[in-house]
Amino acid sequence: MKKAHLIGIVIIAIAIGVIMSTLSDSSTYADFSEAFANPGQEFHVVGKLNKSKESIYHPSENPNLFTFFMNDNKGEEKKVILHKSKPQDFERSEQIVLIGKADGSEFHATEILMKCPSKYNDGKGKLWGG
Amino acid sequence: METHFTGEHYLPGLLGNFFIILSFTSALLATVSFYFASKSTAEKGNSEIQTTWNRIAHYSFFVHGAAVIFIISTLFFMLLNHYYEYHYVWQHSNNEMPLRYIFSCFWEGQEGSFLLWTFWNVVLGIILMFTLSAKSGIKPPEFFNWENPVMAIFSSVQVFLTSMLLGIYFNNFHIGSNPFTVLLREHPDFSNAPIFQNAGYLSQIDGRGLNPLLQNYWMTIHPPTLFLGFALTLVPFCFAVSALWQKKFTQWIKPALPWTFFGIAILGLGVLMGGAWAYEALSFGGFWAWDPVENASLVPWITLVGAGHVMLINKKKESSSGMLFFLAIITFLLILYSTFLTRSGILGDASVHAFTDLGMSGQLLIYLFFYFVLSLILFFSRLKELKTQKEEDALLSREFWMFICALVLLVSAFQISSTTSIPVFNKIFNSHLAPPAQAIEHYNSWQVPMAIIISFIMGFSQHLKYKKTGIKKFIIQVVPSVFVSLGISLLFGYLTGMLHLKNLLYLILLLTSSFAVLGNLDYFLRIMKGKVAGVGPSMAHVGFGMILFGALVSQSQQKNISTNVSGVDIEQVSKELQNQENTLLFKNDTVPMGDYFVSYSGKRKEGINVLYKVDYLSKDSAGSFVNSFSLFPRVQINPRMGNVSEPDTRHFWSKDIYTHVTYAELEENKVEESDFNEPENHKMGKGDTIFSTRAIIVLQEFNTNVDRPRLGLNDSDLAVGARLNVTTMNGKKFSVLPVFILRKNVVFPVYDEIPEEGLRFTFGKIFPQENKIEISVFESKKKKQKEFIIMKAVLFPYINVLWAGSILFFLGTLISVYQRIKKNIFHLKSTKELK
Repeated sequence: MKKAHLIGIVIIAIAIGVIMSTLSDSSTYADFSEAFANPGQEFHVVGKLNKSKESIYHPSENPNLFTFFMNDNKGEEKKVILHKSKPQDFERSEQIVLIGKADGSEFHATEILMKCPSKYNDGKGKLWGG
Repeated sequence: METHFTGEHYLPGLLGNFFIILSFTSALLATVSFYFASKSTAEKGNSEIQTTWNRIAHYSFFVHGAAVIFIISTLFFMLLNHYYEYHYVWQHSNNEMPLRYIFSCFWEGQEGSFLLWTFWNVVLGIILMFTLSAKSGIKPPEFFNWENPVMAIFSSVQVFLTSMLLGIYFNNFHIGSNPFTVLLREHPDFSNAPIFQNAGYLSQIDGRGLNPLLQNYWMTIHPPTLFLGFALTLVPFCFAVSALWQKKFTQWIKPALPWTFFGIAILGLGVLMGGAWAYEALSFGGFWAWDPVENASLVPWITLVGAGHVMLINKKKESSSGMLFFLAIITFLLILYSTFLTRSGILGDASVHAFTDLGMSGQLLIYLFFYFVLSLILFFSRLKELKTQKEEDALLSREFWMFICALVLLVSAFQISSTTSIPVFNKIFNSHLAPPAQAIEHYNSWQVPMAIIISFIMGFSQHLKYKKTGIKKFIIQVVPSVFVSLGISLLFGYLTGMLHLKNLLYLILLLTSSFAVLGNLDYFLRIMKGKVAGVGPSMAHVGFGMILFGALVSQSQQKNISTNVSGVDIEQVSKELQNQENTLLFKNDTVPMGDYFVSYSGKRKEGINVLYKVDYLSKDSAGSFVNSFSLFPRVQINPRMGNVSEPDTRHFWSKDIYTHVTYAELEENKVEESDFNEPENHKMGKGDTIFSTRAIIVLQEFNTNVDRPRLGLNDSDLAVGARLNVTTMNGKKFSVLPVFILRKNVVFPVYDEIPEEGLRFTFGKIFPQENKIEISVFESKKKKQKEFIIMKAVLFPYINVLWAGSILFFLGTLISVYQRIKKNIFHLKSTKELK
C-alpha cells in the first residue's frame, strides 16, 4: 500500500496549500480608516459616491485617470484616484467597491465594482411610462 | 371599499396554481410509492405489493410530468397574451417584445428558471423510467431492477423543486414563489400605487419587459443548455445513492455511464457557452474571468468528469468504488451549492453578475442540507462494505493514471470552490475576507499546474492498456507523439512569442496541452487505425486538449494594442499605478494601434443602442490608408441597469481583435446658449481682418450660393452668406459661413459655429452705402471638446483553437455516449438471445 499512502500524503499537502493560499491571497474588506492606517496594503473598501463634490475626468489629458470623492460605510470621506477610464454611467451607482491602496491622503484604486440596480431582480420599478 | 377591477383574467392563475399543487403532490406520491416499491424489492416474495406500488408510482410521475407541462404552458399563455395583472408577466415581458424573446423572459425570473430545471428533470425522469422499467423486456437475468430506488430519489428532488413554486406562507417564512398567485396590484412594492384606484388600470399599463442586456440569442440558448446539464447530474447521483441504499455496488455503473457522459457533454457545453457569451457580448475582456458565477457551474463539471472516468475504471474491475461514489454524489451536491451561491445573494459584492435574494435562500439551504446529510450518512455507513482492493494497480496501467487524474480533478474543484466560497466563510465565521484582488492570477497559479498534470496524463494514458502494459511497447507507441508535440509547441511558441515568456509554467502547459492533443490523435490514427469505435473518446480528448491550448495561448498572449497613443505624457499624473489600457480617440483622428491605424468616424443610434464606428485602416503600397474593416462597439442606453457597453470583435482565423468603448459622452456635443458672452460686433468689408480674443477672422467673400433647402428658404427669400476664414491662437484653421436672410423685409440671421473652439458667428446687418456688413463674434465661457470615445482594443491570438476544441469535445463526447448506448443495447439483446 505504499503508493496509495504516498498519493494520500501528497493530496493532503496540496489541500493544506490550497487553504493557506486562499487565506493569504484573499484581500480584506475594510473602511478608509483601516486602509489609511496601513498604506500600501491592498484593501476592498465599500462605500457611496459623494455626489455633492465634483468628479473629475479629463480624457484628453489622461483617459486612464478619474478622480472622485467617496464616503465609506462609516461616512468617512476620501479622495479616490481611479487608474482606469471613468466607468459608464458612474453617477447612477448605488454602491461602490474599490480595490486598491491608500497613499498619502488619497486612495489609489486599480479596480472598481459598481452595484447598479440588479439585472436579475430590481424589485421596485416604475409601473408605467418611462 | 371594494374596487371591482375590469379586464383581469383569473382563470389562468387559478389553473396554474392548481397545476403547481398537483405537480407537488404527485411528485410526493411518486416518491413515497417508489420508496415502498423499492423496499419490497429488498424483501423477496413481495412482488405483488411491489408491482402495485410501482404502478401507483408510475402514474403519479406521469401526472407530475403532465402537471409541470401544464404549468409551463399556462405561464407561456399568460406571457403571450400580456396578462400584466400578474406580477411575473408584468416584470418580465412587455408589449413590444418580439416573439423570440418570450422564451428568454420565461426563464429570466427565478420562478421560470426553476420551472425550466423541473421541466428537464421531468423529461429525463420519464426516459429513465422507461429505460429502467422491468416491463421493457430486454433485460438479462442478473439484472437488478433499478427503477424503483433510482426514481424514488429522483422524484424526491422534484418534490423540492416544485415546492420552490408553491408560494405558501407560514407566519414570516414563505415556501416558494408562485408566479400565478402574485397579482401586480397586490405586490408589496405597488400596493399603494395610485393607478390601482382605477378599476380599468389594465388598459393603461405595459409590462416592464426583458432586460435589454439579456435580449440576445445567448439568453435563448444558454439557460436551457445549462439547466439540462444541471438536470443530468441528478442521474448518476440517484444511481449512486440507490446503489449504496440497496447495497448493489457495481451493477449501477453500466446503466449510469451514458447518462454521466451525456451530462459531461451538455454541462461542459453550457459552461463554454457562458464563456462565449461573456466574450462576445459582455465586457469582461476575455472568455473566462474566474467569476464566482462562472466557477459555480465549472466545479460540478470537473467532478462529473472525474466521476465518469472512475466509472470506466470500475466497469473493468471494482477498485475505486469509494472515490466513485464520492464523486457522483458530490457533483449533484455542488450543483445545489452553486444554485444556493448564485441565488441567495450571498456573493453580493464578489461577483459582477449581481444576483439578489428572492427570500428563498433558507429553503435552498434546507434542500442542500437534506441531500448532503442523507447521501453522506449513507456513504459513510456503507464505506466498510465497499470492496477494498487487495493488490495495487500497476504503474503502467490505464486505471492507475485515470485514478490520479480523478484525484487531481477533485483537488482542482476543491481549490476553485474554496476561493469562491470566501463570502460563505465570511457569513459563517463573521470575518471580513475579500476575494483575492488579483483573482485571475490567484486561480491560475493553482489551476495551471493541475492542467499540466491532467493534460500530460491525457496524452499518454490512452496508450496504456487496462491492467498492465509492457513498458517497451508503451514507450515505442508514445514516443512519436512526444516528439511531434514538442515540435508543434515550439512552432506555436515561436509564432505567439511565448518562448520569450518568463512564465515557465505556461511554457510547460503549452507543451503538455499539445501533447494531449497529439497523443490522442496519434492513438486514434496509428493504434486504433481510425476505427469508428474509438472516435468518440479520442475526439473528446483532442478537443479538451485544444481548449486548454487555446485558452492558454489566447489569454496569456493577449495584447492590449490600445495603450495610450495620444503622445501626451501621463507619467507625471500617476506615479506607480500606471494603467494605460484605454485610449482616447477624437472623431476623425487616425492613430496607430498594433498593426493597424484606427479612426473613430462617428456614431449612430439604433433602438436603445448607440453604435460607434471604429475603422481599422492599413497602409497600402502607395502609403495611403485603406479600410481593412470596421467594428461597431456599442453603448446600450439601458433604463433598468444603467448604460452598458458591449464590445465588438473581428474574427480572423489566427486572431481576434476585440474593441470596446469604455467611456463615451452620450449627450450631444453642443454649446449651450447661456454659455456665451455678449457678442462683439465688427463692421467688415471684403478682405478685412478683425481680431477677437481667441481668433483672427478674415472676411474672404460673399456667397449667394447657400444651401437653400437646408436653411428652409422660400424662392422669394434673399440669402447671402459671409465666408469667414478663422485662425485660432493655436494655429488651427476653420472656415465658417453665417448667412443673412431677408424674408419680407424681416432679417433672419443663421449662425455658424466652431463648437470645439467655443466660437459662434452671425451676419446680422448690411450697410449698402459703405459696402460693409456687420459680423458678430460670440465667444463661449468654456470650450467644448471635440467628440471622442475612450476605447480599448485587445488582440487575442489563436482563440479559434479554443472554440474548435469546444466543438470537438462536445461532438466527441456525444459520439461516445451514442456508442456506449448501442453497446449496452447490443449486450442486452445478445444475453436475451442466449437465454
